[in-house]
Amino acid sequence: MAGYAIEMHGITKTFGSVVANKGVDLNVKSGEILALLGENGSGKTTLMNMLSGIYKPDSGSIYINGEAVSIDSPEDAKRLGIGMVHQHFKLVDVFSAADNIWMGKEKSGLVLKKKRYDEIKDITKRFGFDLDPTKKVYNMSVSEKQTLEIVKVLYYGAKIIILDEPTAVLTVQEIEKLFNVLRAMKAEGHAIIIITHKLNEVMEISDRVAIMRKGEYITTVNTSETSEQALTEWMVGHKVNLNIDRPVVEKTRPLLEVRNLTINNDEGATAIDNVSFYIRGGEILGVAGIAGCGQKELCEAIAGLRPIVSGQMIHKGDNIVGLPPKTILEKGISMSFIPEDRLGMGLAPSMSITDNMLLKNYRMGKSPLIDRKRGRKDALQVIEDLSVVTPSTETPVRRLSGGNVQKVLLGREIKAGPNVIITAYPVRGLDINSSYTIYNILNKQKLDGVGVLFVGEDLDVMMALCDKILVLCHGKVMGVVHAHKTTKEELGLMMTGSLDLSEKYADKPAGLAKDTFFEDENKKEG
Amino acid sequence: MNGFFSKMPRLPFHIVKRENCPLWMKCCFYLAAIVIALLAGALVLWAIDVDPWDYYYQMFTMGAVGNKRAYKIYMNYIKEFLPLALTSVALSLAFKMKFWNIGGEGQFIMGAVSAAFVAFKLGPVAPAWVTLIVMCITAMVIAGIYGLIAGILKVRFGTNETLMTLMLNYIALYFLTFIGETKADWNFFLQEKSARPVFESFKDIVIFPSIPLGEKFELNVCFILTLMVGAIIFVYLKYTKQGYEISVVGDSPNTAHYAGMKVNRIVLRTVFLSASLVGLAAAFKVGSSGVLSTSITDDVGWTGIIVAWLAQLNTGMIFIVSALICVLQFGSVNAASEFARVDSSFANMLQGLILFLVLAADFFIRFRIARTKKGE
Repeated sequence: MAGYAIEMHGITKTFGSVVANKGVDLNVKSGEILALLGENGSGKTTLMNMLSGIYKPDSGSIYINGEAVSIDSPEDAKRLGIGMVHQHFKLVDVFSAADNIWMGKEKSGLVLKKKRYDEIKDITKRFGFDLDPTKKVYNMSVSEKQTLEIVKVLYYGAKIIILDEPTAVLTVQEIEKLFNVLRAMKAEGHAIIIITHKLNEVMEISDRVAIMRKGEYITTVNTSETSEQALTEWMVGHKVNLNIDRPVVEKTRPLLEVRNLTINNDEGATAIDNVSFYIRGGEILGVAGIAGCGQKELCEAIAGLRPIVSGQMIHKGDNIVGLPPKTILEKGISMSFIPEDRLGMGLAPSMSITDNMLLKNYRMGKSPLIDRKRGRKDALQVIEDLSVVTPSTETPVRRLSGGNVQKVLLGREIKAGPNVIITAYPVRGLDINSSYTIYNILNKQKLDGVGVLFVGEDLDVMMALCDKILVLCHGKVMGVVHAHKTTKEELGLMMTGSLDLSEKYADKPAGLAKDTFFEDENKKEG
Repeated sequence: MNGFFSKMPRLPFHIVKRENCPLWMKCCFYLAAIVIALLAGALVLWAIDVDPWDYYYQMFTMGAVGNKRAYKIYMNYIKEFLPLALTSVALSLAFKMKFWNIGGEGQFIMGAVSAAFVAFKLGPVAPAWVTLIVMCITAMVIAGIYGLIAGILKVRFGTNETLMTLMLNYIALYFLTFIGETKADWNFFLQEKSARPVFESFKDIVIFPSIPLGEKFELNVCFILTLMVGAIIFVYLKYTKQGYEISVVGDSPNTAHYAGMKVNRIVLRTVFLSASLVGLAAAFKVGSSGVLSTSITDDVGWTGIIVAWLAQLNTGMIFIVSALICVLQFGSVNAASEFARVDSSFANMLQGLILFLVLAADFFIRFRIARTKKGE
């Protein structure tokens, strides 16, 4: 018994008729990083919420350092030295970093003291964090907010730290920084549980891996004695092919061409700076770049949701600059952007799957009445084609788990039969199985002659899936490379702006198609 | 909050989310809420030495049982019920879009004044049915425009519609008071002969007709019109493309924008529709009573908010809930005449209690309390 920081025995938790956890056993030692692995909806977050006092198990027992405990509230968890960093941050935007930490403190007195900044600075120094205690949360990047959450947990003396998908919204560099912090915490004897979908991260950071499937505990293995393939099979329950196909398709003339495009962001600063590229039918063009370097603005501009400053965009030879979003949709350009909160754009969360299917084509037909029959038919088909797990077509989308939400969104976009798909972060936060489903969907579209713009995060995936990769750095194009010829290092250098391949070939400028439609127009004019 | 709970003794039960509460159970919870509210009210009555049983009997029968003039009571009851039901339906339109239109009072007043204006000016020269139609249309347009002010400010400058509609209520109220208290040559709203400012009645010029049913009971056409509007709005919200747009905008404006909807236009259109229906309710009200008054609204702009929420924005339920609330209000006024000791504002207290407890019942519909099993 001794030696384990946490032991959970036979934990069962049900929500109504749904069994989220069924007889789960889990244990973690001090000075150890345990990765908790499982598909979306396999009950990882529920299990961790029971450790942090948000939920109470229906049955089962929890031991902390060998002692049976009952965790009834987050306060109890705090007292027992358990701290959780949630997927969705729980911070007060208008407070400084220090105040966000300080406000949860009991017996902190009534007066705000200058000392609080120093106290927090001490902690950040000890673990090698990069955090300014006086900075307001609304000025922070996602990675800073996360750091703040971790510091908060440490400040309250947590010995057991749970991180729920901490890497989902971080860049490669930020992840590396986070892992260094985790290693420092481990060296100090903390027990760490990390929930993640990314197998390469599991292999890199964890000592042991616990695997869950559909609410049940499967097994725990030592990381050094396993492989990504084995982990996936445990997680999914059957053999999975981890290779991503890149079918070769005959390419058409450019479907979408963008020339010298400049776009501002919400603050009025330049987000996309003089960018040119083109997408052919039967091609997947990847867009790589550090988070927040104009990807969102680019997607919105193409979909007609954001005005552009200058430049040209033509679709099959027709200008689309300045057209309303509705007209652009009707031309067959579909855009799906999965924001960090996953639900913010593209879906109406309280409405049913049926109603969400109708979102983009509800105007069809002259009748003033809405055609729910068609929506239901579409919903049934998407549910079947993409194996969406849902009680019915009338279930509100927000009740579905993350992966299923994304399948509904992408399913609808494809159902509309677009000829250009703009998709940003389609696998954000998805488990392996769902991610592969999405890759297959995109490949199938490519085979059908659709042009795909894939804004992604995972370079390994992009190099396997995309035909070409456009690299952005601070809104500027660093070059377009062939995915099968490039290396991760080269992409990394381009993303950080140390390597600029945009003028590699003087005779063939990056992003301009040889058989462009622009020439047509020039010829006509000449 | 957590601090508070952690100091409580360990409880042998915990709260669990309930999924798919069956309809009969929902009804039971709501019924229980109402019964508890009435029991609490009975306690108050009992404390001031009034027999609760007698009082409630008087209240819920509205004094109609065994009364020869019961038909009169029913007719008056319907007169109170119609504006409340229609106003609640109108407000629910905006609420569905998460546009917090609490300006029902102001929109109602604007509608009432403009309907009266038409009655005075057009009534003497045009056929009655033309006047009535013009009254309705004018009231709808003026009230709609009055509602649009808050809508335009929100769309254009991002102002808070709750504050705007609230303040516009007072502007309308004092505008009406101004008309009602200013004796002047131009003010045709007041009685010419009276030395004191008293609203002039246009009963003799134009009034909504009633259909005689049975011996003495007459049903005002507004009743049929209100039911029709209710049915139309039900279909509008549930089955039309515009209704769908309202739901999407209410749920996620970002998504609506992304789907190519013109969000601002939808907001303005819906706010106009919501406010103009409040105006229609006002036209029905003045058109059937034939006179303005400073308390013309009967607080329907406020009560309508409660009704819309109690009915969970369901158009059918709004009619049921407003009928019940009206029994409460109308019945308590009636009972107050029998029981001198109990003021008619007892109904307000009861209404508050019921609202509070129904909201509490909502909690039990969404959650249940489960016994915590001890682990081995």
